Formats: sequence, structure tokens, C-alpha cells
Amino acid sequence: MSVSDLPILSLIVFTPLVGVLVMLFVPGTAHRAIRWVALVASLATLALSLVLLGYDPAGAEFQFREDLEWIPAFGMGYRLGVDGLSVVLVLLTTVLSVVAILYSWHPIQARVKEYYATMLLLMVGMLGVFVSLDLFLFYVFWEISLIPMYLVIGIWGGPRRIYATVKFVIYTLVGSLLMLVAILAVAIAHGNDTGTFTFAYEALRGHPFADGLQALAFVAFFLAFAIKVPMWPLHTWLPDAHVEAPTAGSIILAGVLLKLGGYGFLRFSLPLLPDAAVEFAPIVIALSIVAIIYGALVSMVQPDLKKLIAYSSVSHMGFVMLGAFVFNEQGLQGSVFQMVSHGITTGALFLLVGVIYERTHDRMIAHMGGLNARLPRYAGIFGLFTFASIGLPGLSGFVGEFLVVLGAFRYNGWVAAAAMVVVILSAVYMLWMFQRVFFTVPSDWMRRWWPSLTDMSRLEWISLAPLIFLTVALGVYPAPVLELIAEPVQRIIEGVTDSTGLASLGLPW
Amino acid sequence: MTDPLNDLFTLLPELILTATALVVMTVDLFLPRRAKWILTPLAIFGMALTGIGCVLVWGVNDTVFAGFYVVDDLSVFLKGATLVIGILAALFAPSYLVSRRLPLGEFNTILMFSLIGMFVLASSSDLITMFLGLELMVMPAYLLTGYHKTDRFSNEGGLKYFLLGSFASAILLFGISWTYGLTGTTRVAEIGAGLAGGPAGLVAIAMLTVGATFKVAAVPFHYWTPDAYQGAPTPLTGFLSVGPKLGAFALLVRLFVEGLGGDVRADWLAVMAVLAVLTMTGGNIVALAQVNVKRMLAYSSIAHTGYILAALAAYAAAPSPAVQQRSVEAVLFYLLGYGVMNIAAFAVVGMLQRDPRRYGGLASFAGLAGRAPWLAAAMAVLLLSLTGIPPTVGFFAKLYVLLATVDAGLAWLAVVVALNAALAAFYYLRVIVYMYMRDAEDEPAPIDRHPFATTALAISVAGVLALGIFVEPVLDFLQASAGSLF
Repeated sequence: MSVSDLPILSLIVFTPLVGVLVMLFVPGTAHRAIRWVALVASLATLALSLVLLGYDPAGAEFQFREDLEWIPAFGMGYRLGVDGLSVVLVLLTTVLSVVAILYSWHPIQARVKEYYATMLLLMVGMLGVFVSLDLFLFYVFWEISLIPMYLVIGIWGGPRRIYATVKFVIYTLVGSLLMLVAILAVAIAHGNDTGTFTFAYEALRGHPFADGLQALAFVAFFLAFAIKVPMWPLHTWLPDAHVEAPTAGSIILAGVLLKLGGYGFLRFSLPLLPDAAVEFAPIVIALSIVAIIYGALVSMVQPDLKKLIAYSSVSHMGFVMLGAFVFNEQGLQGSVFQMVSHGITTGALFLLVGVIYERTHDRMIAHMGGLNARLPRYAGIFGLFTFASIGLPGLSGFVGEFLVVLGAFRYNGWVAAAAMVVVILSAVYMLWMFQRVFFTVPSDWMRRWWPSLTDMSRLEWISLAPLIFLTVALGVYPAPVLELIAEPVQRIIEGVTDSTGLASLGLPW
Repeated sequence: MTDPLNDLFTLLPELILTATALVVMTVDLFLPRRAKWILTPLAIFGMALTGIGCVLVWGVNDTVFAGFYVVDDLSVFLKGATLVIGILAALFAPSYLVSRRLPLGEFNTILMFSLIGMFVLASSSDLITMFLGLELMVMPAYLLTGYHKTDRFSNEGGLKYFLLGSFASAILLFGISWTYGLTGTTRVAEIGAGLAGGPAGLVAIAMLTVGATFKVAAVPFHYWTPDAYQGAPTPLTGFLSVGPKLGAFALLVRLFVEGLGGDVRADWLAVMAVLAVLTMTGGNIVALAQVNVKRMLAYSSIAHTGYILAALAAYAAAPSPAVQQRSVEAVLFYLLGYGVMNIAAFAVVGMLQRDPRRYGGLASFAGLAGRAPWLAAAMAVLLLSLTGIPPTVGFFAKLYVLLATVDAGLAWLAVVVALNAALAAFYYLRVIVYMYMRDAEDEPAPIDRHPFATTALAISVAGVLALGIFVEPVLDFLQASAGSLF
């Protein structure tokens, strides 16, 4: 049996589950052993996911396929496969999972076994979402990814964790249940039209659904994905969830879970419901612009580091949405690239906030100050990711934002101009924050901690290393990612323009 | 068809169950107190034998006893589901009852008589048989509610259940007599044609609807439920919330699908859809406000009734026989899945009531994950299943209902179901919050770890997960069962 015969995607998705099963046989007090099991499981998943780099952009659209019957009576199958878009996001997930698990080594000391089991289950759900080629299977994984995050925030979170986690779950669940109805409606409509009732993605894609159904289904999908992204005005769960989540939870939440929403739009909303997508595009674009500007403005006034980064995510994810709905190559490529870049930089920023929080048990910007003198290495690395987040050329953040703005310009100059303003605003809030934390005079409060402040530990360096490498590498040489996503992006655009018969979707003025 | 021996053979499950009930009652008289526990395995053995009887009559599909009784695959499926619930009830109850000095022999006997009533309901093809089955099912249920005779809540619940239940029976009976007056027949299959059109027919249908939905505790006929459920000994509440409900839905399916399934469907579609919306929303909203888990589960069982009613409404709206059949399948699957998960969830509440001063408040669950990780995990799975999160049977049950409603063109109803499921998440997850995210009380509730109950809990949880992932085998049975109506 050669390597290519192995069900590689199933292995990737379920290796973390094996880790959970192994963990069941490790006594709960053996914290070290449990951490190693989790680390090995996540590293094995990462190693397996590297096989996906063998994806051939010139080959079939979906590769590494697996096709098994699950519930044939309902047309549900265990259908897995990846295209470039999935490959990129799977790799993002596996890398960030390893980072999160590594980083949790010291901070998590309570209920260690449950914690790592939950993190691994979360991996199963997220990876499953990215590789499912069956709408029903996709939904199942989507829901599976919800509960572990609920527990991570609720058990290992901050003081208001229960409020935050319940809000997170209820928001997400409302959206996803409506999406389930939409999935069923789409599958049933396809079944009634063609006589074969199936949830297979490729069968449903390209089917000309009636306009009314498309509109309703689009709204339902939109709610589910927009809550996850999150889009203004459905974003209010995000700051609460981030503030209360433990650091590793924030890394995964910002790094991967938000991407589930963006992925949902690109994989399902646009290809399945192209007419409705075009119909609704102006509204979505308007909301994205609001999100971009609103997120940036609100970030400026946040007193709490974590909340600031959370709101900046709203702004950054607005770029993802804007890029997705201008329906041109630059916009969509930028959208995907922005997802990857945001995952890396925001994940790293949350980790860095965790570093200072571990030492001082505080995240208030007003309590900081002058840290550069005491923690020069920490300041340097924080600076790197600050610039990456602003979108400085040479770092990953630049590529995504630039492409999105370029795409937006082709769609409409004013939209692009509005988005551009934020590049300035983001420099304002990020640099101002950086200045208040690392320069100026240390606050009295911070002076109390002064003697006990230590610079980055080895473990923290190790957890950050992959993110540092990726943010620089992708900033300097984004081609590998862009090559992987070129083909899927082209398909999405063709799907939309073929169906609507529009060559160019720009507004008339 | 008139061969008496053949007729008796088709009654095999009922006969075995009756015999078991009588044997248990008799053996109980001669057993010393310390050996009473044997009654439980004995009853379960009898129910297992009954199960074999069910297997034997699967596929018979015959109307017997001059048309009063029908043994089709639908009835056999319902009987099988009844037995599953019965066996779980028999396993969950003993330790709770014994610790409160309540007799075990009577419990098992009463339980099995109630099951026989459900069997009769499932097989009734005549309004008379139907009424007999119904009474045979609910009379023991009244007794079980008031089973804790020294507890005033139990007494109160039993009395309320009895009074309101009798009231509902009277209305149903009135509807039956009205129907007979209009159509001149009590055969379920023949009443539909006679009731079509005309205000008199509508009155009959209205009476039948009110009587029957009273029994499933649909809003606004649900007022007896919370008190009856909270008063009854907790494991028995688990049975009461699923057993008689299964029987009552068997009645609804027989009456509305088989009897009023023709052109009359249009007359009750709107009523059923409105009842479904009221029931799920009402149940959920009141459940939100509960701080007692037992009472919360009682109200949430009303909400689940609403989901099942939605499937029934889908049947009424269905454009084609295939969609109609799928709706009936949804009803059946939901009954089975809901039965297993709800009875087990009540049992966990009961296990935390080892100290009789505890009434199943949320506080009993505080920090349970730290004290009893497996019990907490089991309860978490059950609650997630009740919420409808994959991969559990509860998810599949909801999916089935959504599929049926969307397929029948009632997308708005599907949206209401979906929103309600999200609403329900709020109070189900609250229990998980207490178990996993709060610290234990100073004097945590002692936990009952009787082997019977633990075994039954493990089986239920395994079933909830297995049916959530490998649902295929059950679907074949479902399709055959629902198919026997069409």
C-alpha cells in the first residue's frame, strides 16, 4: 500500500481523536504525560497535514478524496476532499493548534486532562469543516467545533467566563440552526428537480436554484457565517469571548474559528447561491466597510489589550468579507490571504498578550508603560506583529489588505477609498497602543511587578517561532499561498459570472 | 383472518407481557424483603421475551379480532420502542424507590400494565380499542405519579394528573361518540370519509384533537404536566415523560394519519401547525425560567412534544405519499430517540437525589464534573442530545423533523423549530455550566451508584451516541414501519 492510498484526510481529522482516546488511559494527575500526549497528537496531525502540500494545482479540483456511504437513504455521505483553499486553511489550523497546545504548557494548571482533550476535540471539528465535501457532514463538524470552544471559555476563562461563553454559544447556534434549515431546503430542492436526493457538494454546486429559494437560503447561510466571522452588527459576542477566553482559546478563536465563517462564504454561499450572492453583494460590502471602520474606531478607545485586538479582528475580518464579495481575482485572493495572515498575526498577538498577562495578571494598557526597558526581546517581537497587523510591506498583513483594496478598487473607487482609510486608522490604534505599553514611563502599578518581570521564556519563543517565520516568509514571498488559491478563486468567480451572465460586476459610476 | 389461533399468535407480545406482570405480582408475595431486587431482573427478562415476541410478529401485517386490532409493522415498531423505554424504566427506578422504602413489586407490575396499554394503543384500529388502550395506559400512570404516598407533592401531582387526565379522556370519548353518530362506524380507517366537510365533522375532529393533544401535553393543554412530573418519584417521571407520550402519539398517528389522513387533512393542518408552534415555544420559554432541573426537564418535554407535532403537521401538508411517509418516520424516530435520552436525563437527576431532601435543583449539579466525571460526561451527552447537537440521536431526530417540514413546504415551521432549538440550548447548557464551570457546594449531593441504574445509563448514552452516528440500521425499520400505513 503506497502513501497515496492512505485516507490521509481522515487521518488528519481523527489523529487528535486518537490523542483523546490515549489520554483516557493516562491518570489525571500525570500532567506531564498528558501534555506530551496532546503535543504529540497535534504534531502528528501537523506532520500529516504537510502531506497536503503535495496538492497539485494543475490536477483535479478536489484531491486526496474519500468517498464513503454514510446514510444513503438521505443522500448523506462521508465525502472528503481538499482544494487549495482547504489546504491553506488546514495547514493554518494544524500550525495554530500546535502553537496553542505548546503555549498552554505552563498557564494551564487546572483540569489539565479535560483541557487538552477539549483542545484536541476542537481540532477534529475545525479540520473536519475544512475537508468536508458534503453539506451535511460539514454541518456536523461545524457543530462539533462549537462545544469544545464553549467549554474552553467556560471552564478555563476569566471572571465573566460563563456570561461570555453562553453568549458565544447561543449566537453561534442560532445562526447554525438556521443554516441547517437552509442546507435541507437546498438539498430537497435539488432532489425535487433532479430526482436524486443528495448532500454532495459537487452535485449541488452549479444547480440552478430558484431565485426565491436562493435569497432565503443565502440569508440563512449569511447569518451563520456572518456571526462566525463576525460581521458588524453581529460581532458583539466576540469581544466578550476573547476577553474571557484563556490565551490558547483566543489563539484558536481568532486564528481558526473566525475563518470557519469566511471559509463558509467562499465554499458554500458564493458557489451554491451565486445569483443571491450577487444580489446581496452591495449590502454585504456596505456592512464590511462599516465593520472595517467601526472595528478600527472602537479599537482606538479600548483600555484592555485583548479587547483592542478583538475589535481589530472585526476590522480585519471586514477586509476578508469585502474581498470575497467584490467577485474579482484580486479581491478573493486577498480575502483568503487576509484570513491566513490574520490567523497568524492575531494568533501571535493574543499569545503575546498572554505572555504579559502571565507575569502581571493584568491586561490594562493604562497599567503598562516603559516595558521596552525591562523586556527588550518581548518588545521587539511584539513590535514585529504590531507592524504585521498594521499591514507593513514585507510582512504578511500587507499582502492581503493590498490585494483586497486592489480588488475593491476594480469594483468601485469609493469603496476602496473607504477601506484605505482604515489602513491609517489601524496604524493609529496599533502604534498608539504599542507606544503606551512599551515606551513612556512605567506606571506605578507596573513598577511593583518590575523586579519579577522576566523576558520571553524558551517555551514562549518556541511557540512563537513558527508564527514569526510564517509572517515574515509570507510577507516577503506570498507566492506559495497565492498559487494554491488561484485555481479555487478562479472557480468561484467563474461560478458567479457564469450564472449571472455578468462580465464585470462594478457599479455604474 | 378469522382463524382464532392465528389471532392469538399475533397477540404474542401482549400475552407474554401480561403473563410477566402477573408472575411478578405473584412472586412478589412470596419474596422476603432482602430478595425483592430479583423482581427487577425478572421483569426485564419478561420484557426481553416480549421483545422476542415482537420480532416474531414483525412483518405479519394483519388485522385481527374482527377488525378491532391491527398488527402491522408500525405497531410492532411502537411496541419495540415501548419495551426499550420500559426496560430502562425498570432499571432506573429500583435504588430510588428502595432508598425511600417504596415497594418494588407493585412498581414493576404497574409499569408493565401501563406498557400493555401502550401496546394496545399502538395496535388499535378501532376507536373502542383505542380508548381502552388509552385508559389502560394512563391509569397505571396516575398511580405511578402518586407512588410516593407519603410525599405531598407526589400526591398532588397524582391527583392533578388523574383529574385533568379524566377530563381529557371525557372529551376524547365525546369526540368518539360524535364521530360514531356522524359516520355510524368506529373503525379508524373508515371515519375519515364520514367526517369530511360540514361543521358537524369539524366539531368531532376538534374534540378528538383536544382530547388527544391533552394526552401529549400540547400547549395550551399542558397544565397538568409540570406538577405531575415534578411530584412523581424522579425515575418514574422519566418514564411518565416518555412512555405515555409515546402511547399518546401512537394514538395521534393512528387517529390522524390512518383515520383522518384523506381529504380531511386540510381541516386539521392549520390547527396542528399552530399547536406545534405554541407547544414548542411555550414549553421552551417556561423552561428557561426554571432553576429546578427536574421541572426544567418537565417543561422541556413539552417543547419536544411541539417538535413532534411539527412533524405531524408536515404530514398534513405533505404533497406526496413519499413525503407523508417521511413525516411519519420523523414522528417515530423522534419518539424513540427522545424516549431514550429523556428517561436517562431524569434518571441522572434521580441519582443525585440520594439524599431525599434534595429535589433536583441546579445546585445539586454544581461541580459534578470534578466529583463524578463519568456521570457528568454522561449527563452532558444527554443534554447535548436534547439540545440537538451532533453526533447524537437528538440531533438526528431534529434533523428528521426539519427534513420533513421543509420537504412538506412548511419552511417557516422549520425555522421556528430551529429557533426553538437554539432557545432550548440556553437552559440545557446551563446544567452543563453548573456541572463543569462551577465549584461544588460545601455539602455536595451524594450520588446514587446502584449497578442497575449505572448499567442502564451507560446503555442509554451508548445508544444516544450510536444512533447519532450509525443511524442507517434503524432507518430500514422506520421505513418499513411507517410504510405499513401507506
